[in-house]
Amino acid sequence: MTNINGKAYAMNAVTPMKAWKTPILRILFFLLGAIKSKQQDLINLSFIHFARWVIVKRNQFPRLAPEQPEEQLHYDYLLFFSNFNGTWNQYIDAFSAVLSTGLNMIWRWSEKFPGSVPVTAFKRYIALVQFDTDYYYTAYPYATTNDVKAAIRVDDRLQAFANDSAGLSPDEFQQAYLKLLVKVQADIGALGPAPMGT
Amino acid sequence: MANLNGNMYGLTILSPILDDPKIKISHDTALRMYLQNMHRHERSPFAKVAGTHICRLVVMDDVVYVGSPAKEEHLKSKYLIFNSNLYGGVDAYLEEMARKIPDVADDIWSHCVGYPGVTDPRAFAAYMKKCQIETTFFFADVNDKTVEQTLKALQTKVEFTAFVEENQGRSPAELQREFAAFWERMRKSPPPDGGAKELTKGQAARA
Repeated sequence: MTNINGKAYAMNAVTPMKAWKTPILRILFFLLGAIKSKQQDLINLSFIHFARWVIVKRNQFPRLAPEQPEEQLHYDYLLFFSNFNGTWNQYIDAFSAVLSTGLNMIWRWSEKFPGSVPVTAFKRYIALVQFDTDYYYTAYPYATTNDVKAAIRVDDRLQAFANDSAGLSPDEFQQAYLKLLVKVQADIGALGPAPMGT
Repeated sequence: MANLNGNMYGLTILSPILDDPKIKISHDTALRMYLQNMHRHERSPFAKVAGTHICRLVVMDDVVYVGSPAKEEHLKSKYLIFNSNLYGGVDAYLEEMARKIPDVADDIWSHCVGYPGVTDPRAFAAYMKKCQIETTFFFADVNDKTVEQTLKALQTKVEFTAFVEENQGRSPAELQREFAAFWERMRKSPPPDGGAKELTKGQAARA
């Protein structure tokens, strides 16, 4: 089991859905994708590098040879994969506290979903439908989503500063440098250790 | 297309795993043992496939029974899930896997039904795409940077933090000279290794 690599946690979950419900969920996901403001809470949480939901129809599991038995399923399945920073408990708590309406909209179509509030039943359900990762790679295990976003801001500002400060006198340069520091002060600093806990 | 978010592509592949009751170690167990021992940091095979921001491999044994009154049911095959968050086009990415990590691709997907091998990268990519399930909704917090740009930006953040600490109290002329040297060093240094466990200050200076 390899759910954790540095500061990233790989979560996998699978939930059954009655087939007539999946078109409704597809429409909801389409709206979530089309209306960017609906993703704002997810962006504001700022601890998810990437996440995805994948609907697998009951007859859609790949069958590549006649000798491979054909699946005979009653349900469609909703797969969820997330790459987040922090611990499992922090993630589920934050999801429940901040995104409960959105989560309920997505998972209410899954069998026996208890709702994301209160969090105790929600955690029990997620623990039941979660399955472990066998191999997990990230190009930057030492960096959180916030680290990446801060690094990009610092890099952009430094590039601009290097260009704009060419040809300045030493005194002008120092003034420009101090202004730069004011702009990037929230984004510089050590990357820090990965969190401990569950 | 739901697989895309900006320039990021959410690749989801479910490859059916071979089932052979005559062999001593089943294919899914052999796969798990192999994956357990595969390098995860800078020596990871996926560090060689340039577009890979984050990826995972998961053996899916079965679906989950959530309890009564839901119906209990089971998969007839086990599936290997390959899930990658990659920058750029999927065909080029899959072909690059066949070219850059052919042995690893063979070691992994030779446990799967219908695997054609990597001799022809286009056939490998076509096989993987036959097993692809379209992502229904894909979220990427940062969706416009290559892996190299991201690594380079992280390096800049770490090195500039050290620069600020080390150059407090310099005269304007000294500060200007030191910054010019720093920026030249940053410009010339290669990005840090993908997958490395740590990123420490001074790597650019040593490069």
